Amino acid sequence: MSVDKDTSRLEDALKIALRRQQPPDEFADRVLARAITKESGKPASRLPWLRIFTRPIFAQPVVRWATAAALVAALVGGGIYHRHVQRQRAEGEAAKQQLILALRIAGSKLQLAKSKVQHVQDQTENQEEKE
Amino acid sequence: MAEPLSAEKAAAIAETDFAAIVRRHQAMVYSIALRFLGDPAAAEELAQDVFLQLHANLNGLKSHDHVKFWLRKVTGHRCIDFRRRSRLPQVSLDEAPEPAAPVQTGDPLLSRRLQQLVASLPEKARLIVILRYQEDMKAEDIADVLAMPIGTVKSTLQRSLAMLRDKVTRTIGEVAI
Repeated sequence: MSVDKDTSRLEDALKIALRRQQPPDEFADRVLARAITKESGKPASRLPWLRIFTRPIFAQPVVRWATAAALVAALVGGGIYHRHVQRQRAEGEAAKQQLILALRIAGSKLQLAKSKVQHVQDQTENQEEKE
Repeated sequence: MAEPLSAEKAAAIAETDFAAIVRRHQAMVYSIALRFLGDPAAAEELAQDVFLQLHANLNGLKSHDHVKFWLRKVTGHRCIDFRRRSRLPQVSLDEAPEPAAPVQTGDPLLSRRLQQLVASLPEKARLIVILRYQEDMKAEDIADVLAMPIGTVKSTLQRSLAMLRDKVTRTIGEVAI
């Protein structure tokens, strides 16, 4: 068999072996979806005076300053409120301690009065028995 | 007298054209990548990237032939770049991947062996063989697409064919070809 004939048969076999294959289903749809996504990411080419309406809200200086001021106000207000709450809590704690002390004193006084009454009652009963 | 197209209509027509181009050439781009890389997932990713690059450059392309030339050129270059970036070693004959789908006609055993042998060729030689036998391109056109001298393309093809014939004869037998 001649080399030319071999080569020709090999070339034919290569053409069959290397025939095109279709890509997976929905390949084209995936490409188009990626192209649209990429396209939508591009900056819009509108008139400059219209950009104030199209830029992200925080890109506008007024909004940036207003946001910063609101944050500072919230921090200061939060600090003041926190100190106020702490003071109220301390005052409440002191009042509680005073009330406990008063209750203890009242309790001991009651105990003393009770023992005195008991003593008088015991004496009265003893006298009655003697009589 | 025809009315001028609105921007939205023009964009919609451009998208339709692009969709038609993708559907017309998807088998060509995907198959070049698949034969070169031997990995269906990597081939699909690369093919998608090629079409996205085409989408970005569509205005610079003047005709369908130009689009076809551009796609083959970019796919070829991206295949070689992909292989170099992934730093995979040259595939040996035994490690060459099995074909992704069986061939419908011809000798299936011979076709499978040839696909493995092509996958084991050096990068440039592999791409030249794929463009020659998958795309049925002439040596002159391959030289244009790959920006290399025509003599280099012809000599690479001859060496590759000799090697393929030798290996096929040794593994399958002379009867096969």
